[in-house]
Amino acid sequence: MKMKCVSCNFEAPKAKFRYLYNARIDSSGSYRQCPKCMNWLFVDELKGEAVQVVKTGDALWGKSAGVEGLAGDAIASRG
Amino acid sequence: MVAALRKEEVERLEKEGAWWWLAEKKRSERLDYLRKAVWKKGALGGEYAPGVKVGLERPILFTESWKENDYDPIMLRKAKALANVLDNMTIFITDHAQLVGYVGEAPHTLLVLSEGASMINEEVYNEHGVIPEPEEESLKIIAEINDYWAGNTSVDKVARLLDPEDAVKFLSGAIGWGTPSSSYGYSGKNYEYWLTGQRGFEDIIAEIDQKLAEAEEKTIGTPGPDILPLYDKIQNWEAMKLILEASIRYARRYARLARIVAENFEADPKRREELLRVAETCERVPAKPQRNLQESFQYDHFVQVLSRIEAFEGAWPSRPDYYHGPWYDKDVNIDKRLTRKEALDLVGEFMIRCYEVGLFAPRWAREGLQGITGTWVWTLGGVDKEGNDACNDLTTAFLQAARLVRVSNPTFGFRWHPQVKEEVLRECFECIRQGLGYPSMRNDPVLVANSVHWHKHPIEEARTWVHQACMSPCPTTKHGTQPMRMASATANTAKIIEYALFNGFDPVLKMQMGVESGDARKFTSYEELYEAWKKQMRWLMDILVRTVNLGRAKDPEFFGRPFLSATYERSVESGLDAVSPEGERGNAWITWFTWVENIDSLAAIKKLVFDEKKYTMAQLVNALETNWEGKEEMRLDFVKNAPKWGNDDDYVDQIMAQAFKDVAEHSWEIKDPSGNPWPVLPENVSGNIHYSNMVGALPNGRRLGDALYDGGISPGPGLDKKGPTAVLKSCSKFNHVTDGRAFLLNQRLSPTQLQGEKGYELWRSYIKTWAELGLDHVQFNVVDDKTLRAAQKEPENYQELIVRVAGYSACFVDISRKTQDNIIQRTIQGLA
Repeated sequence: MKMKCVSCNFEAPKAKFRYLYNARIDSSGSYRQCPKCMNWLFVDELKGEAVQVVKTGDALWGKSAGVEGLAGDAIASRG
Repeated sequence: MVAALRKEEVERLEKEGAWWWLAEKKRSERLDYLRKAVWKKGALGGEYAPGVKVGLERPILFTESWKENDYDPIMLRKAKALANVLDNMTIFITDHAQLVGYVGEAPHTLLVLSEGASMINEEVYNEHGVIPEPEEESLKIIAEINDYWAGNTSVDKVARLLDPEDAVKFLSGAIGWGTPSSSYGYSGKNYEYWLTGQRGFEDIIAEIDQKLAEAEEKTIGTPGPDILPLYDKIQNWEAMKLILEASIRYARRYARLARIVAENFEADPKRREELLRVAETCERVPAKPQRNLQESFQYDHFVQVLSRIEAFEGAWPSRPDYYHGPWYDKDVNIDKRLTRKEALDLVGEFMIRCYEVGLFAPRWAREGLQGITGTWVWTLGGVDKEGNDACNDLTTAFLQAARLVRVSNPTFGFRWHPQVKEEVLRECFECIRQGLGYPSMRNDPVLVANSVHWHKHPIEEARTWVHQACMSPCPTTKHGTQPMRMASATANTAKIIEYALFNGFDPVLKMQMGVESGDARKFTSYEELYEAWKKQMRWLMDILVRTVNLGRAKDPEFFGRPFLSATYERSVESGLDAVSPEGERGNAWITWFTWVENIDSLAAIKKLVFDEKKYTMAQLVNALETNWEGKEEMRLDFVKNAPKWGNDDDYVDQIMAQAFKDVAEHSWEIKDPSGNPWPVLPENVSGNIHYSNMVGALPNGRRLGDALYDGGISPGPGLDKKGPTAVLKSCSKFNHVTDGRAFLLNQRLSPTQLQGEKGYELWRSYIKTWAELGLDHVQFNVVDDKTLRAAQKEPENYQELIVRVAGYSACFVDISRKTQDNIIQRTIQGLA
């Protein structure tokens, strides 16, 4: 299954997008890098979808567990 | 009117938690100038700040003398080379400063040590941005010096002796870090010998002269085997004497400079007076014992600087309130020579002079210690040798000065004990509440007992302990002080579980590293897996300790520490290099990085593979081999449906307790060169980020690239879901005296919750529980996510925002994005 970069529309299997690190270990959200435009993407690993481009300070998943009700899934907490 | 406005502004800043701006308003003009005039030497992520350059005078002057004295034995040759540096290196005095002394020729320089390790010399040559202008000329000088030392540095010499297989594995960088030589290590200071007001360097020289006279008399006396060691010792004593004399001359160069500026150039009468006092101070110390607080600080600072001109000392073991306290008391309370405010200025400057010190570190050290130049943890509080509360007015002054100067290095570790007065505890709390990340709280009775247990220090000596680096307690006494702790006894322990699952093969490096412990795909019980884990654990401890022991034993021959030896009572007495293991009780420890991943991984396998039989071992190993790619549901199962450390859950906590017991058992089987055991010390600095690309996928749910847990015995970020007391209870299920040397625990607390008297009461009650449960360490971050995210977005507005990383503090903007995110991921605990 292919994944599409939300910034430049480049499409390739998810594994081609370099895995950087997780948003949180208990979340299915991760950071990957688009091999074409080199942007950092926030990726839903369960769905295999790039959700948004990551900019410093904009990360919606950056809440701590103690604040947001303990280890809620980053994807779920977006909504 | 002005005062009223200021009060209003102060209150507003306090309410907003704008601690840096508040400090600016509260500190004196002098302190404000000195704090802002200092160059930041800690690496930003892995890079040095623009404008910071390596100092070339030290390598040039050292090498020049070294070449000239080819026939001397190592300690004497080294003493002469260092003396050449001290006599000729450019010195400077910072405007408004009352304390002097630096490791380089200018305030923006980093010390470079050419005789330590060729692999680091090559990094100096290749590092962008740090080569002084004109760059081409500097590179030529560096290349010539590096060529001269190639193959002849202390680490080069040790490496040639290592078993080739051990050397390859050790130098792979995957299982540990550091260099097996005191050229890059942590040296304890024998404060009981030289800082108690009984001795200056002239007194030590007199003791050496006495030793020399006795030895020379014997060498022309009746022949016998007892005479033979004296020939070497005589040269060692001469080396010690030579470097002490050079150190006195070095201090007097500062005296002369201060006097010249005062008498010829300084127009401000107040500053002229200060410079004359600097001159008088440097004429006095270190030659003679100190008489007042300024001399006491200056004496100490000279010794610290001189030690770092001799070797790259990555730590700063110190107990400033205990050793300088009597002079503070004399100046402020008895003689009334200084007002409290003036004394506070001196205390703040003493911290700034330490913060200023910069040493060129290799990239792995810069990544592992982002934002700082070394783990400079000063020890405050504690008890005296008789067990009485040792806190004094200077303890309070240091805690207050820390909030005024807000440096990320040095930080403090506070020795909590039951007699600590309420007002001192409040000062600790105020530093924590104001977001410094320090002091870390250390449980003194536990750690004193720990020192007695592991290294058999008499209790009176154990009570003198200081942090030798981030965490490990080390006495400051004749036989208790450890001269050389090498960072190379640092284990990337996540490799233990990784190798247990891959039969000793490293799936990231693609080479056989550990022992063959069986094909994990065929394991049919948890016990079989655990046996494999134990084999890998023993192998990892053994290979690191073999390397370090060799480095330690050969260090007097390959490196030599004349200055350190001259400040060690046992060396002055014995004529042996301080690093010689003879006469030392030991304080060895293996730094135990990336540890909790082992426990969470073992628990996850036990539960999901062997208890519930939800997956087979083959399925698990296959998933790990592919970095969980396409196995997200399974990965989340291993994260969310397996017990995690830090939740007061016996299922996983008992695995931790058993693992520590087995590690401690092996700690007694392996010995340091003095014959002492090697206990472990779980902590991470920022090694959890450094190793994140070297440790593959693990059963705790991490992938290759993910930050490892933040260290020590801290639960995985966001995985401690049952509150702060549950964390403490988990951490109390093993023995903090007998199961290891010390155990780092990071906790995040809410700044809102810590406001006011109620905040203090909550925190004090937390500390009471922590102490009663017998934990030895805890440290806090008290910064909210909003501020940290804002700092990521607009770093220019948050240059001085400090966070506790692990074992040290750093400015948030100086650490990498991944490290920043890892700190934000940590659970904010609500106190109740």
